[in-house]
Amino acid sequence: MMDRRTLVGVGAALTTAVSSFFGGRKAEAKAKDMAYPKGTMQPRGHVERLERFANLSLESRQDFLMSFRTWANGDLGRTANARADEILKSKGIPKDNQLSQAEAIELLKDDPIIAMSTRGWCSAQQLMWSGLKEEFEGNADRYLSEMEAADKMGPGKLELNANLKLPDYVKHEIHIQPGGYVGSEFAGHMYHYGTNAFYTGRNFNDELHVGSANNMPIPKDGKVMRILDVGCGIGQLALALKERFPNAEVWGIDVGGPMVRYAHLRSVERGLDVNFSQRLGEDTQFPDNYFDIVTSYIMFHEVSPEGTAAQVKEAMRIVRPGGIYYPLDFKLNGAPRRTAYGMYRGWMDHRWNNEVWTQKFRTNGLPDMIRKAGFDLNEKEPELLRGFGILNATKPA
Amino acid sequence: MADEKKMGERTKAASDFIKGDTDSAVFLGNPHIDNLMTIVIAMGAEIWSDRQRMRIVEHLLSTKGKVTTEMIEQYVPTNEQKAAWAAERDAMAKRVYSVMARDTSGAKPFGEERKFN
Repeated sequence: MMDRRTLVGVGAALTTAVSSFFGGRKAEAKAKDMAYPKGTMQPRGHVERLERFANLSLESRQDFLMSFRTWANGDLGRTANARADEILKSKGIPKDNQLSQAEAIELLKDDPIIAMSTRGWCSAQQLMWSGLKEEFEGNADRYLSEMEAADKMGPGKLELNANLKLPDYVKHEIHIQPGGYVGSEFAGHMYHYGTNAFYTGRNFNDELHVGSANNMPIPKDGKVMRILDVGCGIGQLALALKERFPNAEVWGIDVGGPMVRYAHLRSVERGLDVNFSQRLGEDTQFPDNYFDIVTSYIMFHEVSPEGTAAQVKEAMRIVRPGGIYYPLDFKLNGAPRRTAYGMYRGWMDHRWNNEVWTQKFRTNGLPDMIRKAGFDLNEKEPELLRGFGILNATKPA
Repeated sequence: MADEKKMGERTKAASDFIKGDTDSAVFLGNPHIDNLMTIVIAMGAEIWSDRQRMRIVEHLLSTKGKVTTEMIEQYVPTNEQKAAWAAERDAMAKRVYSVMARDTSGAKPFGEERKFN
């Protein structure tokens, strides 16, 4: 795997070599000097596929915040859950009573342990993001140079679309990530390192994405020539699909320009021929019946109901007859009934983790939308990720 | 913050966004108490950062007999060290913060006199 500092030199050399045969090496040195002034620390290598942070202090602080988060979700979370049960008991409310979310919030929000648990989660999340923002925006020259160098390189191509009109629903700071997926030049960087905390160590090798790609169903005729990952983010699933189907033409599209730009950087680092483009899932610009497989990775719970309906319709247009449509996301049908504490946490995630659309995702009837669009829907198998929803749709041949 | 002048000369891909309001959230009844909680967690991260650096310095001194900033920054822990340091880190988080989970259901008001037989 190529390190990102090398990309800066190679990118500059390639550009200059077009106009001057001997200019390449000078340009390489100049570009590196600009991006990494004298005294700048050398690259620190990789942890599996993930480039290590630029310095040990940041790495250690982020590492600790992940540990705190694990503890807060574990010991503290269990204690808060037990407190919720005690509160219900003290009020004479049976544990299996189906309270409304508003009732659950009112009942639990003032308990000191539950409130402390909420605060602990929130503070850790805020500290994680602020540390990442400070690093990437504070060293913008370096990180922009790396992306600019990769922009020009292959094997896959990058398409940024500055004139793309973004619907408002995509502009939120989901997970309270600073600037969300569209508002920071370093949205991809922040998302990649930030989700490490979310995955608590299972992200260094894109583990969940590789697992999902490996479990992806294929059309009955076995033909997999073209694949699309909608809302591809930093391209983890698209890259994993390319690894599983090396001869297929693989695309990842996302509304976030910085996200697809970072995805492209990763594809260049790893030498994988995947195309990343800034486009809408509602208007992909691909021809009718173009793809053998269209998928998305835990995207729809971050999409408005209107956006969801439009994207499902678009998927029906671009999947070829006999092709597969598998939008992977949280479980809808067959999900366990939520406890009072579960509903409280659901609200916390929606309101304070800024998961703006999650609540509506649970009720917008995605499986029915998929059926009404004309797909045959199998909700039994295969499960791409343990505990997640199964929406294995086929376009009738 | 990013260098605006240099940013202006760059290829940009970001656009406008809708800011969240989680920074104004108050869960503990008083925003300053919420702030203190954030400080306490941040301090834990700072302490762990220093502790991990110290572990690396100790290791380099004992194995190489010298240490430089570059050596510390470039040091790649062995799998055994990774496991040991992760266990130490998790134990520290548990030790320092477990008081948050203490049972407060029997909390006594400040002005309440203690009763004896």
